[in-house]
This record gives sequence, C-alpha cells and structure tokens, in this order.
Amino acid sequence: MKSLITPYNFLLFTLTLFSFTVNGQQSNSTTVNPGSIADPVIKVVDYGGLIPVYTKQNDTLYVVNFWATWCRPCVEELPHFMAVDGKYRGNKKYKMILVSLDDAEKANGTVKNFAKRLKLDVDHYLLDDIKKMNEWIPSVDKSWSGSIPATLFIKNGKSLQFVENSLSMDELESIIKLHL
Amino acid sequence: MKTIQKIAGLLLISLFTIGTLSAQGYKVGDAATDFKLKGVDNKMVSLENHKDAKGFIVIFTCNHCPYSIAYEDRIIALDKKYSPLGYPVVAINPNDPALEPKDSFELMIKRAKEKGFTFPYLFDDGQKIFPQYGATKTPHVFILKKEGAKNIVKYIGAIDDNYKNAADVSKKYVEDAVDALLANREVEVKTTVAIGCSIKVKK
Repeated sequence: MKSLITPYNFLLFTLTLFSFTVNGQQSNSTTVNPGSIADPVIKVVDYGGLIPVYTKQNDTLYVVNFWATWCRPCVEELPHFMAVDGKYRGNKKYKMILVSLDDAEKANGTVKNFAKRLKLDVDHYLLDDIKKMNEWIPSVDKSWSGSIPATLFIKNGKSLQFVENSLSMDELESIIKLHL
Repeated sequence: MKTIQKIAGLLLISLFTIGTLSAQGYKVGDAATDFKLKGVDNKMVSLENHKDAKGFIVIFTCNHCPYSIAYEDRIIALDKKYSPLGYPVVAINPNDPALEPKDSFELMIKRAKEKGFTFPYLFDDGQKIFPQYGATKTPHVFILKKEGAKNIVKYIGAIDDNYKNAADVSKKYVEDAVDALLANREVEVKTTVAIGCSIKVKK
C-alpha cells in the first residue's frame, strides 16, 4: 500500500486537480458531490442492480471500470482514470463509473477508505453477485475471461469496446475520444 | 484533426484486438503442450513423467492472489480425491516475481510447506507455458485427458461457483468434469468464467 503514495502518483493527482480548475467544469454526477470526496458512497448492488446504471438510452458514453482494492494493476491505473475523467467530466455525454469487486462487507471500510485516499471522485458501485459470476461476466462481454482490471465502454446499452487489461492515460483518452 | 484522432483510436483498438486474439490459447478439444518446469522440491516436472495418470488437473495459481489463497484448501482436497483416481493436480505459478515479489520461487517453496501441498507446485520460469494454454488469471483451471500420446483439453475455467465460501458452493465445476471423464461421459459444462487476478507480465 505504501507504494501507492509515490511522487508519480502525487503528480497525477495534482494534474487532475489542475485540469478541474482550468476547465472550470462541473461534474454532472448526481450521487457524488464534485470536489468533495470526504465521504464517498459505495453502493452495493447485484448484477441486476448494476446493469440499469450504465445502459440508459441517453446518448451518454459510460466508461465502466471493474477493479478491486487487492488488485495491484487496477489500483495503479486508477490515477490515469481520474486524470482523464478530470478532462471529460464536464461533458454531459460522458460518465465514468467504478465497479469494485471487493467483498461486500468491505464496502464501507477498505473500499470507501481507498476511494477517499486516492480521491476517486466518480460514482462507486460494489458488485456483490459472487455465485453468478459465470452468468454476469459473459453478459458484460463475451470475451471476458474474468481477469481485472477490465473496462467497458458503452452507449445506449450497446457495448462499443471492452478492454481486459490495464489502460494508460493515452489509451484511455483515445478510446473515449473515438466513442464520444 | 478529429479524423486523425479517430484513425489513431481505430489503430489502437485493432492493436487491442490483435493482442486479445494472440492470447486466446487453447479451446476445449485442443491438445495441450507438455512442459518441463521446476517444482518447489527443486525437481523438474513434466506431464509425461506421470505414466499412470489418466489425465491432469492443471491449475495456474500463485501465492499472492486472494482468490488463489481462498482456493488453496480446495485445491489440496481436489488432489487428495482425484490423484488416486488418476487425475493429479499440477499447479503452476505463471507470474513474473519482478512484478509480484510474493510470487517468487523461494516464497512458493515456503507457501507449499506451510499449506502442505500434496501436488507439484511449478514455476513457469520465463513465462513460456501459460500463454500457450491461454491462462489469463489465477486461479485458472485446465483439465486434460490423456488420449494416446496427447493431453486433450476437456475443461477450462473456475474450480466452483463460490470462491468466498466453500460451504456455500452449488456447482463444483472441476469435480463434475473429472467425474464425467472418469465415467467416460461427456463433460457437461466445458467452460466457465470467474473473476481472478490478472497474470503479471512485463508490458
């Protein structure tokens, strides 16, 4: 955990904050107050509860990242996600969502503390549907073997891209640009 | 400018697709490669050394991953149950210890001792074997059946349907598959997916 607080990460956070200021944009988030992540809400849902969150028919590109606090490459890519989100969150046709696959009982402890400490200022869900993994994993994307991190890009309920791997800041941004 | 961005994006996406395709590995019905990998007892292990085996439960697993840890006792139980019946467990750690120090060979030896592993726990030194199988995460199971000189893949996927609570498992995928093979029946559920830890490879 100590390795998370590196000068590199700190720089990323600073950049993220800087881009908020420069763009002067407001988050269109309804459940998380922009700029205030003192008390992030981690909503525990099953797959049936998660699906409606990002399959709305509203011409909005949803960037849905599946992660877990125990997953090192997930945690390492999150600063990139936050930096890119900082640039696009003012766009009403764009929305980033984090879906934690941690154990449900960790929602209000470990996961919330992580979100707070890493300043993960987006909407948070924790997908608690262990016994149906073999159903919901292929439903998210039929190519998904189940490794994380994984990111789904979806608009109007139609999957546009699925990446079962880490994404760099540039990779993430070019995919978003392509589909916005 | 926008066009250039779109083209760049498309190129990027095709790169991802190529990456995914090349990482597909085996499908059920394919013949799996043998290997010669060092085990925690410092001896080299190959499938061909197991003359009496009818097949193998090959499990890509490791020390650090919480899912692998959750399944350790169940992997030992699988070996205890199926090794005498001709389907021993062969566990392989596919991770690069430079990226995940907890998965070093020394710590594999330590973990195998602590848990009393009854099966070979091998190190995929150089990471040549797991990509051929198409393993993407830990744990990731490949059940092989000897057919002549070949080891044919009969099942790919998860151990069961509840990593968290062994007492609340409804579907024992691996046991069901091996039971079917032992009874000369077709494996009903040939592939499953479950969340796991990505295999650590240098980019």
